Amino acid sequence: MRHPKEIVLKDGTEVLIRPLASADELPLRRFYSGIAEEDRWYMRFDVMDPTVIHGWVEDQKEVFSMLALCAGEIVAHARLHTHHYGCYHHQGRLRIIVDPRYRQKRLGSWMLLDLIHLAMEKGLREVRADFVVGVEQAAIESAYKLDFFKKALLEDFVIDPQGQLHDLLIMTKRLHKDWGDF
Amino acid sequence: MSTFAQHEIFLSTALGELRIRSFCTPDEIRQLSFDRQFGTHAHYRSLYTKRESLERKAEQPDTSVVLAIADSKRIVGFGVLAYPDPEERWAKLEPNLMMEVNAIEVSREWRSKKIARGIVQMLSVHPMIEDKVSYFVGYSWTWDLDGNRMTAQQYRLMMARLFEPFGFEEYQTNEPNICLKSENIFMARIGERISTEAQNRFKWLRFGMTP
Repeated sequence: MRHPKEIVLKDGTEVLIRPLASADELPLRRFYSGIAEEDRWYMRFDVMDPTVIHGWVEDQKEVFSMLALCAGEIVAHARLHTHHYGCYHHQGRLRIIVDPRYRQKRLGSWMLLDLIHLAMEKGLREVRADFVVGVEQAAIESAYKLDFFKKALLEDFVIDPQGQLHDLLIMTKRLHKDWGDF
Repeated sequence: MSTFAQHEIFLSTALGELRIRSFCTPDEIRQLSFDRQFGTHAHYRSLYTKRESLERKAEQPDTSVVLAIADSKRIVGFGVLAYPDPEERWAKLEPNLMMEVNAIEVSREWRSKKIARGIVQMLSVHPMIEDKVSYFVGYSWTWDLDGNRMTAQQYRLMMARLFEPFGFEEYQTNEPNICLKSENIFMARIGERISTEAQNRFKWLRFGMTP
């Protein structure tokens, strides 16, 4: 895939999308420190732990990261988690975090599209994204627009910082399409 | 009608010799037959099913109709570089700054013989190519996946690899038809004489905006 990619957001903001580089470790830590704790809560990793970010920067054999930058500042981080071996090796898992100032501008959709193309290039058969119902509604809408469909709904599966349970929606998108899709 | 110099290359294939010729005129096209494979198949319909459609295209200004001709009489592949229809988004980059690779197709029997590459090569020798933003839109629902035994992803990659050697790059756009499927692809080649200002306008046009 050609990078960097130029994107113009709904409000005219210009953004560049490119892969994560080793020099991005500190800026990425800064980016996550600007994300509210209630958003970080629902991530599968503790992004405030420097070793987590270091791991993503250093080892890009299974976790592929894309950044969105505006005027040199990271404004979104998208990851594709893959497996080299085993029953999940056909599948990639997606996660996208957007700076709150850049939400509702379709940046998340552009990042999602970029990860889908990356997954297609890597020969994956399916991508998966998990969303907390009632918390990540905008992301769920974006996923539906890009042909993701509901694979499973795990009722009362995740817990919020206040101790309330929420449903987890597992969505997938098939990548090996044939004419049956049309 | 175009009055540009014609270029021609010869290709030797297992099925025989053929020539690929740019700026074919309506008269020339009229002398040729259209391979029967250009038609309607189970899951696929050719972009041009009648030779007359190519003749009409060849009459349009600055348009290059490139033909792959077997036995000096049969059209087995074609490509068209033309201005977009006026109602299309890409026609708004004035004056006539964008030209579309409107069609590229090789008859099923003649595929995998580097004919498409020859067609793109002949489209690229257009004398105005450096004054234009040439582009190509690949809609996955128009692709002959059955005939090529490919998935849409494989076909998409094939199209990217076909155009990249000629300076085309993939660009992002929010054009609704292209956004309908993630397999769709939009590629463009920015001519050397395109000003920075026009490049900027092209960028904003891709996202349906004006600077």
